[in-house]
Amino acid sequence: MNNLDPRIFAQSFSQVALTVTAVVVAAAAIALLVYIVLQRWLKWRFALPIVLIAPAAIGLLLLVAYPIAYNVGLAFSDMNIRRFLPEDRSYGLLQFWENIRSVFTAPVLRQVMFFPLLLRTMLWTAIQVVAHVSLGLFLAVLLNRPMRMRAVYRTILLFPWAIPQVVAVMAWRGEFNFQFGYFNVLLRTVGLEPINWMSSPFWNFVAINLTNIWLGVPFMTVILLGGLQSINRSLYEAAEMDGAGKPGQFRRITLPLIQPVMTPAIVLGVIWTFNNFNIPFFINQQELETSDILVTALFRSAFVYFRYGFASAFALIIFAILLVFTMIYMRVAKFELDLGTKRAMGAKPLGVRR
Amino acid sequence: MNTRLTVVSAVLLLLMPFVLFAAGGTEDGLAEGQVGFTIWSQEGESEGTFGWVVELTERFMAENPDVAIEVVHKETEALREDFQTASIARQAPELLWTVNDHAGPFVVAGLVRPVSDLFDQDLFVDSVVMEGETWAVPISSGNHLMLLYNRDLVSAPPTNSDELIAAARQFTDGQLYGLVYNQIEPFWMVPWLAGFGGEVFAADGVTPNLDTEAMVDTLQFLADLKFEHGVVPPESDYGTMDTLFKEGSAAFIVNGDWSLGDYRSVLGESLGIAPLPTITATGLDPAPYTSGKYLFVSDQVTDEQLAAIREFVAFVTSEAIQTELFQTFSRLPARLSVLNSEAVQSDPILADSARALAAGVPQPSVLEMRAVWDAMKPEFNAVLAGTTTPEAAAEAMQASALAGIEALR
Repeated sequence: MNNLDPRIFAQSFSQVALTVTAVVVAAAAIALLVYIVLQRWLKWRFALPIVLIAPAAIGLLLLVAYPIAYNVGLAFSDMNIRRFLPEDRSYGLLQFWENIRSVFTAPVLRQVMFFPLLLRTMLWTAIQVVAHVSLGLFLAVLLNRPMRMRAVYRTILLFPWAIPQVVAVMAWRGEFNFQFGYFNVLLRTVGLEPINWMSSPFWNFVAINLTNIWLGVPFMTVILLGGLQSINRSLYEAAEMDGAGKPGQFRRITLPLIQPVMTPAIVLGVIWTFNNFNIPFFINQQELETSDILVTALFRSAFVYFRYGFASAFALIIFAILLVFTMIYMRVAKFELDLGTKRAMGAKPLGVRR
Repeated sequence: MNTRLTVVSAVLLLLMPFVLFAAGGTEDGLAEGQVGFTIWSQEGESEGTFGWVVELTERFMAENPDVAIEVVHKETEALREDFQTASIARQAPELLWTVNDHAGPFVVAGLVRPVSDLFDQDLFVDSVVMEGETWAVPISSGNHLMLLYNRDLVSAPPTNSDELIAAARQFTDGQLYGLVYNQIEPFWMVPWLAGFGGEVFAADGVTPNLDTEAMVDTLQFLADLKFEHGVVPPESDYGTMDTLFKEGSAAFIVNGDWSLGDYRSVLGESLGIAPLPTITATGLDPAPYTSGKYLFVSDQVTDEQLAAIREFVAFVTSEAIQTELFQTFSRLPARLSVLNSEAVQSDPILADSARALAAGVPQPSVLEMRAVWDAMKPEFNAVLAGTTTPEAAAEAMQASALAGIEALR
């Protein structure tokens, strides 16, 4: 019972306590410093909000901005396992160009090139977002009607979302086991041939997609259900009086009015799916390159093949792709994000502006 | 009043970094005059070996109160990645208890130091030698694959591959598999390659030598086990083969010495051990890769820490602890005097394991090995999935290994 030694508890607790205390003290110190400078010495009228924001802003700067800047810096370096420690690397514009060039001209992993990977990532994203939105909307519409035990259905639907993703993915991987997995047991029971979920490129991709649909639909359902519930029921009543059928109501009332919720959900869904690491990485137990998407390939190029400079440049390219996508999509969907006091609602599509 | 508050606050603020620094200084909990170091170990928690490592350090600390050791468990790959990251941040643990595969990247990146000054190499089995230096202290020796079998099912182990196939066919009946092995990791393919007269590297030890007749024959042999003879499961990873063998659903398993303690506790006297059988067509013996567990020392240790580590190394490699290692976990010790002792030789399981070890060849530690593993794995998997031919796989392996080595330059 060595593991239950109270000294171990005390030791680990003291380590956490020190870190937490240090963070609290540092936050208080920052706030105090900003307070003294802005309020007491400069007597600025925005001193209080700045004091309150400062610790979080500095924390974010350290935790978000610094790693990004570090990544950009590495993209200009020739860092790999032979030039690993800072003193062994060299930096330069030419090296940056070389890194960017090799993303497009040489295999990103062992054999797969950048553009097939990009196409596969787009296919994966398209399949997932279409499945999430259509199934999510279907379930949300079903749940948005008065019915018995609605709360129970909603809770059950939320289960996949409540399980930590990696845990869920490892459980799913077990279900794809050739010998003991649920699917193959089921197939054998009904007299069909079991499937090589792990070694067949096609079926492995199917397995990854199945898992992510299961994981992603509940989130979309909850978001869209929220949108549906904010639609004024009187609009449907008026439409009914005017003789509109259910499909017409859905097309002309539900879809346009759910847009303010659906558009950001789709943008986020695309970004999350495009960047989804856990599912393609962990379900792909045999490291099939045919199941890799951009981000899993990025991870492998950095941490399996030790190509840190290359991988940093690769990461910047993925970032650029997502940035361009988001800008185009927001323009096409006429999605505006209004900040400040001009309008009461944060996001409004042009189509429903009255 | 306000001015006074401002001054007090400013003084407090100036003192803050010192308070934080002092807090940080006591975080490792070292007493005055104590030397501390951290060990990262990839020993498994389920097999009990990690608990043993922790217990060893506690015993060492009891004998050496001026040394404080912290032991942290890391999965094998996480240990490598985290050690590399920690080394960049100059926060690396001082000692690693791990496998020799890591030597390649660690030595090339300059993250570990040579250890020839820490122990007498003549007293131990061969260690990790690269670039003319010794980089690790051996703890155990082996890590070799063997043919393990269930004596309740099999009376005598096969001596050649034809006998193995015949015996395995006899046991395969839909409920039972004749033979199980890890069909994902090429570590399980490499021994057979030697049986067909092949080697992973050319004579220079760094150029891959995969597109050969021997590799094609090896892949064909493994594909035949599955598609022609049907004696192995259609898919099986480590967990699957392990479960099948433990639950008595497999007559033979190819597994390493690390599993002996576990199987011994499940099967007891029914566990049989043999070297992998001779390949009938060539008359050659398969040669599993051998390595073991090693201690690596970070390049960032201080002189005081190194002195403490030297004491710890002497403790772990002492005859008493090495004896404990084989008695508790059925692992072959690295210290020659214990390895060749009567106690090891008279233990039927260990003697058989040592016999299988003798057929092995040391696993190369060079960085190129990594690229070769990565190149072999998908092609080996593809052959066993029936999606490529052995000829195409051998060719693709070679090309991929060369590309991988090029990317490491």
